[in-house]
Amino acid sequence: MISSINPSVKAGAILIPGVLLGLMFDIFTPLIYLIFIIIVTFAFSHISIKKWLLIFSPFVLLALGFAWMRMLYTSEAFDSGPVLIQFWHIEITKGAMEVAASLALRSLCFVALSLLFVLTTDSTKFMLSLMQQCKLSPKLTYGVLAGYRFLPTFKHELDVLRQAHRIRGVGRAKGIRGRIQQFRRYSIPLLANAIRKAERVAIAMESKGFTGERERTHYHEMKVTKRDWYFFGTLVGTFFLVVFLSYSLGFLNIFGKDIN
Amino acid sequence: MNMIKQCNSSKLEPLIRVENLSFDYDNLKNPLISDISFSIDHGETVLLMGGSGSGKSTISLCLNGLYPDAVEGFSSGEIYFKGKQTTEFNKGELNQQIGVVFQDPESQFCMITVEDELAFTLENLKTPREEIGLRITKVLEEVGLSDYRNHKIHELSGGQKQKVALASALIQQPSLLILDEPTANLDPVSSIEFITLIRRLKEQHHIAVLIIEHQADDWLALINRVLVLGKNGDIIANGTSEQVFNDQRERLIQEGIFIPKVFMKAKKYITKSCEEISSSTKPCLTVKDLTFKRKGDVILNKVNLSLYEGEFVAITGENGAGKSTLLQLMSGILKPSQGKIEFLGQSFTKWKEQQLRKQMGFVFQNPEHQFITDTVFDEVAFGMTLNNYGEELTSQRTNDLLKHFQLSELKWRNPFSLSGGQKRRLSVATMLDETPDLLLFDEPTFGQDAQTTEELMFFIKHLQEQGTTIVFVTHDMDLVDTYCERVFVLNNQKIKFEGSPSELWEQTQTLKEARLRLPYRIRHQKKAGEPYDFVY
Amino acid sequence: MTNQWKLKEIVLMSVLGVVFAVIYLMFFFFGQGLRNFLMPFGLGEFGYEIIFGIWFIVSIIAAYIIRKPGVAFTSELIAGVVQVLLGSPAGPMLILTAAIQGAGAEFAFAITKWRDYRLRVLIAAGVFAAVFSFAWHLYSSGNIALATWLIIATFAVRIVSGALLAGVLGKWISDQLAKTGVLRGYALGKEQQEQREHDQAV
Ligand SMILES: Nc1ncnc2c1ncn2[C@@H]1O[C@H](COP(=O)(O)OP(=O)(O)OP(=O)(O)O)[C@@H](O)[C@H]1O
Ligand SMILES: Nc1ncnc2c1ncn2[C@@H]1O[C@H](COP(=O)(O)OP(=O)(O)OP(=O)(O)O)[C@@H](O)[C@H]1O
Ligand SMILES: [Mg+2]
Ligand SMILES: [Mg+2]
Repeated sequence: MISSINPSVKAGAILIPGVLLGLMFDIFTPLIYLIFIIIVTFAFSHISIKKWLLIFSPFVLLALGFAWMRMLYTSEAFDSGPVLIQFWHIEITKGAMEVAASLALRSLCFVALSLLFVLTTDSTKFMLSLMQQCKLSPKLTYGVLAGYRFLPTFKHELDVLRQAHRIRGVGRAKGIRGRIQQFRRYSIPLLANAIRKAERVAIAMESKGFTGERERTHYHEMKVTKRDWYFFGTLVGTFFLVVFLSYSLGFLNIFGKDIN
Repeated sequence: MNMIKQCNSSKLEPLIRVENLSFDYDNLKNPLISDISFSIDHGETVLLMGGSGSGKSTISLCLNGLYPDAVEGFSSGEIYFKGKQTTEFNKGELNQQIGVVFQDPESQFCMITVEDELAFTLENLKTPREEIGLRITKVLEEVGLSDYRNHKIHELSGGQKQKVALASALIQQPSLLILDEPTANLDPVSSIEFITLIRRLKEQHHIAVLIIEHQADDWLALINRVLVLGKNGDIIANGTSEQVFNDQRERLIQEGIFIPKVFMKAKKYITKSCEEISSSTKPCLTVKDLTFKRKGDVILNKVNLSLYEGEFVAITGENGAGKSTLLQLMSGILKPSQGKIEFLGQSFTKWKEQQLRKQMGFVFQNPEHQFITDTVFDEVAFGMTLNNYGEELTSQRTNDLLKHFQLSELKWRNPFSLSGGQKRRLSVATMLDETPDLLLFDEPTFGQDAQTTEELMFFIKHLQEQGTTIVFVTHDMDLVDTYCERVFVLNNQKIKFEGSPSELWEQTQTLKEARLRLPYRIRHQKKAGEPYDFVY
Repeated sequence: MTNQWKLKEIVLMSVLGVVFAVIYLMFFFFGQGLRNFLMPFGLGEFGYEIIFGIWFIVSIIAAYIIRKPGVAFTSELIAGVVQVLLGSPAGPMLILTAAIQGAGAEFAFAITKWRDYRLRVLIAAGVFAAVFSFAWHLYSSGNIALATWLIIATFAVRIVSGALLAGVLGKWISDQLAKTGVLRGYALGKEQQEQREHDQAV
């Protein structure tokens, strides 16, 4: 199960293809890889399809809009091939169409990869693993976790602040100046409060004997096992496989240069 | 082994010795804590008292060497821990021997779950992994939180957070434990339980405890010595509770410190300011079949109550009973899931927000939630400027209020930088700028010393006499007994009792279920012996 | 590097990270709206560019408050990590983006050897962050495939946005915060304290 894969390794396994995808400008490569990721997602994790679709589908729309933009203003480098669509002053060539589709698919790949990570990773474990595997300093690790703790209280804080303003008889803001006033009246106390708490928490942590020195014991020991490397191998390996495939099928297009 | 070492070392040297300590946040010209010296022995239990804002919390943070390093502050003098100057300890070494439970239960955790929080402390001590699990189990049993090991801390009730804080202080097996107003927000039974817990822990482990509290009554059985911090930052009393509270009573009263009631002249607490129920039958606010759900689970279920003009009412009940929620509903900042609320004969839905706020005041349980400006002065002046009083009147009224609540010197300070009690007073003051028809207070007196409590109650009584209806949510039964005409007891989602305090004190069963206790006046009449029996 | 930082400074960065992670998310949707609004005019591409500066603001605020080497970079990085912890669908890639933007801002402060924190430097930091992030997006989201004129236009817009929304707004917010006195434990707060004392003396 993906949820049991070491978070750091998982992140690596997602970053490498993610970054390299930036080179690909053909449709085939990202499409196949996207399908692969989706298969992996549902084969090896407990993510409910419904939940996944709920998050994913908006990004499909986003990608379409994205593609549309790309299609309208493609640079000469890609704007080649016969004109497919033509209406009043716009004409869209095959090249433009392809690039657009490719970029859209690429962005969907990013999303799918990311979901594969965020939906299967416990935030605390992720930080601990960054500390234990990637040698992130404990000071940073626990500093971040301490700050992260505020999140659940944060929305509550906001509601309370809104309530406080009502109690004190502050009405709805009108006009631009009013809006700015209101923005200030909300954001500053919110931040100020957060900063005070940050200071107090830091004091509390030090009072618990936390010095930020590296040698400390780990209650949750984050191990890297064979399974983790298999996972890594699969995700990264498959990527290169797909690249090779699209190369041999003559689809591969890197930075607008057809490789074949 | 460790214990033995402590014992024989204790003959030579107290656990902690403070010499001529001075501290201030800005400069040492006239320091907040000026030139104090005292010591705490191994296994001793010391109670630190002092007016609100006198510097108790500050001292506690100086003791474990966090101040002045952690905040911008200046200090002089020496502190010796087991004979070694605190400045000579390596970073963290000292903190591992001194466990602190801070005044603010919200912001003293850095991990999400209870288990991780406790593990964090042990990891700092470089405890081997195998051992960590066991010690967590043990300490959770001790504080009675075994079922909450994997719970998220921010989802626990106030009392439970308090206990987690205690657990993470205990788990490092400190030789000194500092408790800063640990029971301030606990319901009566929980706080008694907390005290008994501390007592039991002291019997098991040989730890010294420094307790900071305003109301010493329930701790007396436990403490060996009382330290009193004066308004101008010096130690004005240091001795056994008898010595301090008998011999220096007058001085302490001047300093505005609560004298435990056992040391008071009998009639002082037996006097009851209002026995008569207010005659008015004109309803001020009525709640009809009010139901409130939070994320599906029912908090309040078909609650009915009505308040009459000019009466003084208390709402009480155990931690998490829904008191604050009810109060927020009554103020209209929360919308009921079902049922309706009428204020002055008109349903909330019909009220104009502006007008409603003019005629009704509300004070949050957490004072910091009240603050929306940058200075103490502006906080108080805010309402008046909004209802455009003139410059003249505003500043004059504001200054009175500040004076009454002893905040004048702090006029230009940021509300968040105040002490616990000062914050509480300021948040109340913000609502007293005029005389509305209804004032709702959520635990307005916690963290206050005798003097500030008196000032506060004087003010509120004064408003009541002018016809304002007062509602208190409180855990302080003595307060209910002395000031309130009627009291509502909230217990599993419903109003379990409604009537005069003296009637409530008869209802042993209700008290038990709602985790309340009798006020001292009644307990005293009943002459109960064991502290724990005091409850019922 | 982290040794020169006090724990409270790191927690501060993290808390800012949390707060702004939420704001970033809001702006993400705001950007969507803007984009859809501009789409009909064929200016959809500018939807995000206009508000892009917001994504650099943590660097500027943190650096301006704490004033130590590496803060601009780290704070942005932390903000990125926090967003991932929040489950942002941008995922680990976002950490990379954040790092690059942070590096941009840090670069500006590095030029002044972390001594100068006047408005102009903060604006420069915003601009550099914009430049770096723009370069990265040319690659990662394939903007390279856009028409040259559009690339230049969007670049210009992003720089301005970086200067204003990150540099100027960042300074304004920090100064407002300093007024509340909560920063007395940090470089900015102390500076203002001295300022006040100096003014009183004069
Ligand atoms: N971080 C801070 N910065 C500046 N002043 C502070 C800070 N914390 C506390 N003070 C001031 O120092 C004084 C003592 O504060 P402290 O919290 O020690 O009082 P206290 O005795 O604990 O009061 P209480 O019983 O109300 O908690 C108060 O006047 C408070 O306003
Ligand atoms: N913001 C919130 N989100 C979710 N649950 C909450 C929230 N606030 C309170 N609760 C829950 O609602 C219930 C009632 O809370 P409330 O604060 O009204 O209790 P209370 O009687 O005021 O307790 P206390 O005496 O500790 O203040 C509790 O179980 C609490 O856990
Ligand atoms: Mg205090
Ligand atoms: Mg409450």
